[in-house]
Amino acid sequence: MTLSRRALLNLGLTTSTVAATAALAAPAEEGEKGKAAPAPNYAAVLVDTTLCIGCRKCEEACNRRNHLPRTAESFENRDGLRTFRRPTANAFTVVNRFPGSPSPDQAGRAETYCKTQCMHCLIPSCVSACIVGALTKSKDGAVVYNPTICVGCRYCQIACPFEVPAYEFDVALTPKVRKCEFCTDRAKGTGANPACAASCPTEALVFGPRAELVAMAKDRIAKRPDRYVPHVYGENEVGGTSWIYLTGRPPEEIALLKLTSTAPALRTEAIQHGIFKFGAIPIALYGALAGLMWMNNRKAAAGGEPPASGGPKPPASGHEGGAA
Amino acid sequence: MSPHERPRRLSKPFFTAGTIAILVFMAVGYAFGITRLLLGLRFVTNLDDINTWGIWISFDVACGVALAAGGFTTAALVDIFGKKKFKPLLRPAILTAFLGYLWVAIALMFDLGRWWNIWRPLFNWQGNSVLFEVGMCVMAYLMVLAIETSPAVLEGLRARAEGDEWGAAFLRKVKKPILTIHSWIKIILPVFIVAGVVLSCMHQSSLGTLMMIAHTKLNPIWDTPILPLLFLMSAMAVGYPMVILESIYSSTSFGRKPEMDLLAPLARFIPYLLGAYAVVKFGDLAIRHKQLDFVSHPGATVALAVELLLGVVAPLVLLMNDGVRRSPGWLFFSACLVIFGVILNRFNVFLVAYEPPFSQKAYFPSVGEISMTIAIVCSILFCYRFMVTFFPILPGTAAAEETGMAAGEDEGTEPVSPFWTWVVRGLAAASVFGFVLLYVVVHKEAIQATELTVKEVQRVTAPLPPVKAAGGPAYPHRPSGYKNFYLLEAAALKAKGDDYEPVPFSHRIHDELVNGDCAACHHRYASSPTDRVGSDLKELHAGMDVKLGGPCSACHDSLADRPPQSCMHCHGLPKEEDAPSRIGLKGAYHRQCIGCHERQPKPTTAPTECAGCHHPWTPDHAALVAFKETPGPQDVTRECLRCHTKVGQDILATAHWNWKGRSPTIVGQEHRADVALASVINGYYITFSPSTPQSAAMHIGYGKMDGSFDYKDPANIDCLVCHDATGTYKKDASRSGLPDPSFDLAAAAKKVGRPGLRECGSCHFGIGGAPNASHGDLEPALVADAAGLDMHMGTLKMRCQDCHTTTAHRIAGMSFSAPAVEGRVRCEKCHGATPHGVAGALSRHLDDHVRAVACETCHIPSFAHTAPTLVRRDFSVAGQDRPEKTDAYGRPVYDKKLGSLTWAKDVEPVYLWFDGTRSATLVGDKIDPSKPVVLNAPVGEKRTPDARIFPFKLHTATLPYDKKNKVLAVPELQDGYWTHFDLPKAITDGMKKAGVAYSGEYGFVETKMYSGIHHEVVPAKKALGCADCHQAEAITCTRCHQKAQQMDLPEHRRKVYPGVKERLDFKALGYPGDPAVVGGRFYLSIGRGKPPA
Repeated sequence: MTLSRRALLNLGLTTSTVAATAALAAPAEEGEKGKAAPAPNYAAVLVDTTLCIGCRKCEEACNRRNHLPRTAESFENRDGLRTFRRPTANAFTVVNRFPGSPSPDQAGRAETYCKTQCMHCLIPSCVSACIVGALTKSKDGAVVYNPTICVGCRYCQIACPFEVPAYEFDVALTPKVRKCEFCTDRAKGTGANPACAASCPTEALVFGPRAELVAMAKDRIAKRPDRYVPHVYGENEVGGTSWIYLTGRPPEEIALLKLTSTAPALRTEAIQHGIFKFGAIPIALYGALAGLMWMNNRKAAAGGEPPASGGPKPPASGHEGGAA
Repeated sequence: MSPHERPRRLSKPFFTAGTIAILVFMAVGYAFGITRLLLGLRFVTNLDDINTWGIWISFDVACGVALAAGGFTTAALVDIFGKKKFKPLLRPAILTAFLGYLWVAIALMFDLGRWWNIWRPLFNWQGNSVLFEVGMCVMAYLMVLAIETSPAVLEGLRARAEGDEWGAAFLRKVKKPILTIHSWIKIILPVFIVAGVVLSCMHQSSLGTLMMIAHTKLNPIWDTPILPLLFLMSAMAVGYPMVILESIYSSTSFGRKPEMDLLAPLARFIPYLLGAYAVVKFGDLAIRHKQLDFVSHPGATVALAVELLLGVVAPLVLLMNDGVRRSPGWLFFSACLVIFGVILNRFNVFLVAYEPPFSQKAYFPSVGEISMTIAIVCSILFCYRFMVTFFPILPGTAAAEETGMAAGEDEGTEPVSPFWTWVVRGLAAASVFGFVLLYVVVHKEAIQATELTVKEVQRVTAPLPPVKAAGGPAYPHRPSGYKNFYLLEAAALKAKGDDYEPVPFSHRIHDELVNGDCAACHHRYASSPTDRVGSDLKELHAGMDVKLGGPCSACHDSLADRPPQSCMHCHGLPKEEDAPSRIGLKGAYHRQCIGCHERQPKPTTAPTECAGCHHPWTPDHAALVAFKETPGPQDVTRECLRCHTKVGQDILATAHWNWKGRSPTIVGQEHRADVALASVINGYYITFSPSTPQSAAMHIGYGKMDGSFDYKDPANIDCLVCHDATGTYKKDASRSGLPDPSFDLAAAAKKVGRPGLRECGSCHFGIGGAPNASHGDLEPALVADAAGLDMHMGTLKMRCQDCHTTTAHRIAGMSFSAPAVEGRVRCEKCHGATPHGVAGALSRHLDDHVRAVACETCHIPSFAHTAPTLVRRDFSVAGQDRPEKTDAYGRPVYDKKLGSLTWAKDVEPVYLWFDGTRSATLVGDKIDPSKPVVLNAPVGEKRTPDARIFPFKLHTATLPYDKKNKVLAVPELQDGYWTHFDLPKAITDGMKKAGVAYSGEYGFVETKMYSGIHHEVVPAKKALGCADCHQAEAITCTRCHQKAQQMDLPEHRRKVYPGVKERLDFKALGYPGDPAVVGGRFYLSIGRGKPPA
């Protein structure tokens, strides 16, 4: 082992918070110069549900940061946790309470809390579904929305396996899809965390490069096998997500859906592109039908019947030429 | 052929009861539609985030497209497969399809949130989106259908032009273009007939793929990979039933005979198509039956059963029967069953199968949605009725398009020339080719995008080696045993005889100065406890290609396994035998320190003089001091000055001697050097009169400080009051500060030393007339045992002058009562700008506090622990004879000379912004008696960058003042009021003496006086915690103290600080709220960015 390599590794770890955003922001320029810059990674957040105390500070920070309408009740009021909530157009993140201690070794705690927001999938269904590309995956992995070109079909809501995108159903003319966009302007010089992660008092939310956080999560599991379920939720679910969860109890119990590791988007795209790859099958079908039509017309003409339409010869040759 | 056999207009009145009923339904439906456009989806529909697609999509769009399949199936049958006998059915079928698709598009406009953006997919391609595929295909097919419908329209227009109905005159003018377009359409029609079939196959199947992206939310009964195939096959199966339905329905409604001669043979195809669909559908279910759960969702199972039995099996069985096919009634019924089956299938896939896991309420369409849907259906019926009424759509008994066309040609239209035929044909082919090209490009783009994404995902998901967590030393990245502070002393040094006190050495400040590079001092590394030579760290690292110079922690997670050796591990006595060239410890210290200090860029605070680091032990003066006879006080001084020649003159210039001096910290008096202690009004004795014997006893001179005192004579200096090391010297107030004559001055003079707490405290601990009365944080107990009271004086055994640094007997420090300041004391001098440790989030967080909060604020939670301090004096009730009474602390609550007194112990400070300056009320200064007069307000507010929040003791007093001249009165107390208790006389005398005009009329005014709290510093463990000032929620503490999650922190806090709640009144300090919530002074709030560096 050389010390210099180790030095690099350690530097990366000690300054991980700064490096996180630096690594995310830097590669664009440096990559162009062809330098051996550290490869960029996706921004991610690790949610350790065993540390969450349900304070709703993340909800509050999200509300402020995204200029969402002020809520009637204070975020201090934990009565809001009594009902099961989902993200809405006015709350991009919500914390839910589940009875039972968060992990076997936390017997003193009667409740588990779990935060919900856009998971920023690595292969997002919503991005694949969007008819105009209003939803895109940015370079740092955030799934962001461009209302200008959105037609409002809400197919993203159908597509999302986590049921996250919310829609402004009560806006008449310019309704928007609303969801967590990972505080996308965080990298504009401030290097700050997303609002929720920055405000988390217990550091149940940790922001950083995804690969590092996955490693951190696995390290926590290895160190505390008594505390954690040996499964990093979001590492592989629907092809992997940028928000990953550590839980002390089966994820399904705290409304983290049991999902397979294949991305639904890849499945539909495989079907879609399989049938219609470069239009091969449609073009072949066109050719076949045109040939049939031509033959039938010729037969009809030969049989003395008047042809079906003015043109006895269908222009099939033209299309086949085009297809080839 | 007879004319009635041609396709022709319907000769029936347009407006009938049925038409009007349709119009009413449309009006109601579109009223809802317009409401949706004006107010939004929520007001009309039952849609929400979970059930975001309702019947406007599942019926209006999905079923609409499926049921319009009659168009392409009939076109394929007639034109491609050459079954010309069904030609009469083609035009109505195409019209039905065209209207169906048109109203699919229109219905979609009501469902789209941003319907005005519907053109966007034309330019913003997203080839991965199934919906894009469907949308573009439907749009293209709508155009194809328009072309296919156009001959009927054009013929109708031409026919009208020939008649004399309204509009005929105009149409006659445009007859020629109509004929030209008609002939062109005729040429290109075959191109589009084939295109229409292909496009239909594409989007009918794509509609099936649409819901598959919601794979995880679909009921597996319908979620199969062959869903696109099933959709296409069911659409094909429903095509002819739709033609049959439409034909029989229109025949009966227009009073014509059903065209059973065509419909019965047409129905023969249905069992084949439906059968093929049934085989695939049942086969799919059979293959996947093990994965399916028919029990837990009984509703879905019933829906499937109805769909299959009623919609597939029943019509299949029925239509295989020849009798059924020949009976209009049975045929109609069977066709309806097929259509019902397909509609139910689309509903099943889009609504029933869609089972979002977080669904909280089931979806059922609202009245508005249903009304809109009915209106859409009615619109199609209405348009159909309109079209068949005004254009030749429906056949007579039989029909032939070419007959009509022949009739047209008969009327003399020129046939299109072969050249133009091929041009038009080429254009049509080019448009199809263009569409194909576009299609290929879009797909290629989409496929590449996905490939890139997958590649990127594979890269970012590549596993990293697991993070190695650092161990848990007290100071992260520092070896265990790391200490902030060392007293550099060693037996090796003492043994050789030493003239100097050990050096207090701040390890951490030096650590920070060298940027964490331990090797700067710890230059060699010993491999074992016995190895006292070791190897050179530079060489050691050079061998590994590492250049030393940066922080060690950059490479070493922890130095626990190879801690740097202490200096004395190797260095001991000089010239030791094992390594004679190794220098001794003293030499090592000096070479390391002085060498480095000398290299520092100037100006520097790094001392290079001996006394800069350590103080010499005071030599034994027994042999140095000699007196001929029993000395008087001034003889002692002269003997001192015999050697310390310069010191006398130094002292004559000090504030301790003159009781006045430069006052740079008093606002308005910054440039004066003559503000005397006596000219400042205080809340304890109003003025400090130097001429009293009590004052003389607190002066570092011999004699009463009235006019007779010679400030110029160094012999009047009382050296022993500070430098007596016996602890017995005492000034006698009754003898103008001279010691008792019986005191052995010679003995004291032979045993002098550096002043300690006792000596300084002999005056300062008693200011205010009683122990700790004035300061509050300076109590006599500090002398004897300061261990629990003050970190510096107790644990570290520091002397006053270690902080109150002294140059030529001028002593640093700022008082809130005395005006003179001879230097300032700052915690940062030793503790640096980052005092809370060398690394870690908590350290940084606390260091951030230093910008706005003084060290004292947290580290002096309360003061006056052993001796009570005076917090209030009411002079207005002085002069009365009251019985002696003491409070719980044994202190008098009333003094005839001073009025009523209030004492307090364990006092919590008040907190104010303080930028290092203050105001002062001098004798004769105007006051505003309408509110409490602040005698010495700390200056500063939230927006002052230099100001920080400091703790203060607040002392209130009721003092007399001149009612007319609005100045505080200065009554003569000693030899005045305190003897005769005649206040008016005392004031008159005192004002006269002070030279302030007095009106003769006096009153009492409330005053406030602050004193800074700087002593009784407690270590981190006892300092204020987060919750003392910040919102008393557990979260504030658990941010760092994760173990505290289960603790009742407010309860814990009450235990640690009894009775303490919100320490700082943030509103009063100028914050809009708790800065932990709203953000600090000069940087952004939480989540908005990092504070500026």
